[in-house]
Amino acid sequence: MFALEGLKYVGLNHYLVLSGILFTIGMLAVLLRRNLIVILMGVELMLNAVNLSFVAFSHFSANINGQLMVFFVMTVAAAEAGVGLALAVTLFKTFREVNIRLFEQLKG
Amino acid sequence: MENSLLFYVLSTLIVLFSFGMLVAANPVFSALFLALTMVGLAGLFFHLEAYFIAGVQLIVYAGAVMVLFVMVLMLFDLKKEIAPFSRGTLAGFVKLVCAGALFGLIIGAAKHSTEMMMITPEQAASQSGYAVEMKALATLLFTKYLLAFEVLGVLLLLIAVGVVAVSRAKGGTHVRS
Repeated sequence: MFALEGLKYVGLNHYLVLSGILFTIGMLAVLLRRNLIVILMGVELMLNAVNLSFVAFSHFSANINGQLMVFFVMTVAAAEAGVGLALAVTLFKTFREVNIRLFEQLKG
Repeated sequence: MENSLLFYVLSTLIVLFSFGMLVAANPVFSALFLALTMVGLAGLFFHLEAYFIAGVQLIVYAGAVMVLFVMVLMLFDLKKEIAPFSRGTLAGFVKLVCAGALFGLIIGAAKHSTEMMMITPEQAASQSGYAVEMKALATLLFTKYLLAFEVLGVLLLLIAVGVVAVSRAKGGTHVRS
């Protein structure tokens, strides 16, 4: 299904592969980076990759429930970004830096 | 054919931008690359005939969320990071292998699931005239998913209050009242 002749027609598989690539890059950003803000960006990228696969499934099965689900995911992602950035601000106020190694020194 | 060309151009740009987000040492550049990725994804949503979702993606993600990120970065006044990536060659190698394994798992699952769904190119082409109207989306949102919609409203209120409470506390996590 992933043969070269499939390259001419863009189907569901193409979108799912792109979604997988984006999800993996987001996960690498979470695993490899040390800045808390960039880690949050990686989480946003992972959520977006899942959104892409939702929309692709919705388009190729002619079912609009997937688009509603993307709507909900976006709202929760915005809320998550707000909470994560507030935590980053408090971390910066304490340590003057946003680095994940500082989480080791948190107590209470 | 021009449809597939659009897809390939957009997906190449998206992958390049997201990779730029991963490797940029300056967090502001990371934010810029992430915003460009979001714009590219909005283009793909447009291509998939999800016009409402594409608009919301542009407004909420490329607009609001990225502006929030950049504002917090400006607040911090961070210089270029000395060590943007975590230490340890072995640990880094293990992380890369884990990411590769996850990628393989996703691709395998996608292949399996689309084989189960039996969507052939002919069937997909017959559905290419399909476009979601705003009305259908809104009807579904306010009937079948009404409870989830209300819960989402409560969640947003809770988050707004919680974010203000968290970022107002003096001294961050070491609160002394």
